[in-house]
Amino acid sequence: MPAIINLIFISALGESEEQMRRQQFEAIAQSLIPFLVSHFVIRNIIIKYNWLKVDLGKIVSRILGLILVVALLSSLLYQLFYLVSRSTEYINGEFFVQVIIDLLTVSFLYVIWCTIYFLYHYLESNNRSLKYEAAINEMQLNQLKSQLNPHFIFNALNSVRALVDEEPAKAKIAITQLSNILRTSLIMDKKRVINFNDELNTVRAYLALESIRFEERLKIKYNIDPRSNHFQIPPMMLQTLVENAIKHGVSNLVDGGIIEIKSICEDSVLNLRIKNSGQYVHGVKKPGKKGGYGISNTKERLKLIYGSEARFNIYNENDKFVITEVRIPQGI
Amino acid sequence: MKALIIDDERLARKELTNLLQEYPEIDIVGEAVNAEDALEKINSLKPDLLFLDIQMPEKTGFELLESLDNVPEVIFTTAYDEYALKAFDFNALDYLLKPIEPDRLKDALNKLLKRAQPEEIGEVEDKKLGPNDRVFVKDGDKCWFVKLENIRLFESDGNYIKIYFDNFKPMIHKSLNALDERLDDRSFFRASRKHIINLTWVESIESWFNGGLMVVLRGGDKVEVSRRQAARFKEMMSL
Repeated sequence: MPAIINLIFISALGESEEQMRRQQFEAIAQSLIPFLVSHFVIRNIIIKYNWLKVDLGKIVSRILGLILVVALLSSLLYQLFYLVSRSTEYINGEFFVQVIIDLLTVSFLYVIWCTIYFLYHYLESNNRSLKYEAAINEMQLNQLKSQLNPHFIFNALNSVRALVDEEPAKAKIAITQLSNILRTSLIMDKKRVINFNDELNTVRAYLALESIRFEERLKIKYNIDPRSNHFQIPPMMLQTLVENAIKHGVSNLVDGGIIEIKSICEDSVLNLRIKNSGQYVHGVKKPGKKGGYGISNTKERLKLIYGSEARFNIYNENDKFVITEVRIPQGI
Repeated sequence: MKALIIDDERLARKELTNLLQEYPEIDIVGEAVNAEDALEKINSLKPDLLFLDIQMPEKTGFELLESLDNVPEVIFTTAYDEYALKAFDFNALDYLLKPIEPDRLKDALNKLLKRAQPEEIGEVEDKKLGPNDRVFVKDGDKCWFVKLENIRLFESDGNYIKIYFDNFKPMIHKSLNALDERLDDRSFFRASRKHIINLTWVESIESWFNGGLMVVLRGGDKVEVSRRQAARFKEMMSL
């Protein structure tokens, strides 16, 4: 690298042809030395003392010092080289002038080399950390993608088993609904967002199955804005929230309760609102009960996909109902 | 054998009833839809066996068992409850996963019927808890069904009682006085304000200060018997 710079310099300043040829020969030598020195000496020192990891401001003086020392040594090396190749005889004082000229040239080259070296590594590591961050994000997102609650699957299968004798036609429908949910939950892993209606169909199938289980204990209401399908939402997100509403709400009440799913479209925002019987107790879990991650996962997923534009909120409307609200922007 | 099915879902109860039709020795005396209902029916119907769902509204199956003084045989039925089931890893306790496999049900019932027979001979019609009775103990995430004959010592600790058996010392929330009243005094002895010991576990007895006694239990636990109780102890132990 410095050799090329040097050559360009020399040809730009080129005088007579003969002089130029000699200068070029010298230049190659002159370049080869700094090239080798920078590659083997400076680089090794930088690596050995781990200067790449240190804050640049703190080591800049050390680098300059190093450059000066190495430049002095290499300019002395040049003189040796001149003596051998040209057998020049120095007039009084010319030796020192030559040394200083070489010193400055070489230092200049080393500074350039160091700048490029540090710049390259800085960009590289920056790039790497960005890639790393993106990979981590992706990984987190995959982990956060909710999985169907196995408790639900096996309970549903158990109800279906009983239904086979009691109401075979209903049992058939239930089997189709369950397989639809399972299929969707398998495909979902591969997608970041899906159409609202696709998600809603999963939720409908899910709630239909839960109402087979809970029978008269579960009452379901839908209030869906027809424009909702213009929006895309993260897969299994509404499903997770509805599942939570059932798990912590209706299924804990001896007399059961209601669940209402509502969607409201504004210009470029989709508001989802789930209302269910029960009480939301923040942070406090019943002793011995397994604490879920549904809510924190949902918040985290929204943040990773939409940044600060999405909103999530859960609160008690009164002492009978819990409201869960999600605000999803259009497009990503 | 009288059985009670406890599950909040009608279809789940129906499914189990269907499966149990093949076993005439199991007489289903009732169904309960939640823990409270179950508690009532256990007291009035006195079943020998419970088929018990773990996840139920308001009170779980575990909480129901904790509120029972005398626990009948229990077979848990659950859809998927790795946490709950993990609690029983080291217990010879039976559970059935829903949907229930007929073969698994058969195994569970056979095991149960085999175990139940020899016990019924020596059973006393007494309200007090004898050495063959079992109690359900839950401490944190762990659960046990302990036969009283395996318990060496009850030690009171604040509002709790520490129960010593095998290598475990779980705590239950109960007063020692209340427990003392429930225990059969032919097997259990109130050694002091803090301790109740199982007499069959006594290894040696030494005299202690103030006319008290020091009882060493098998396994090495030492319990001091207060002076007042020592007199009763001697009286009981002598011919």
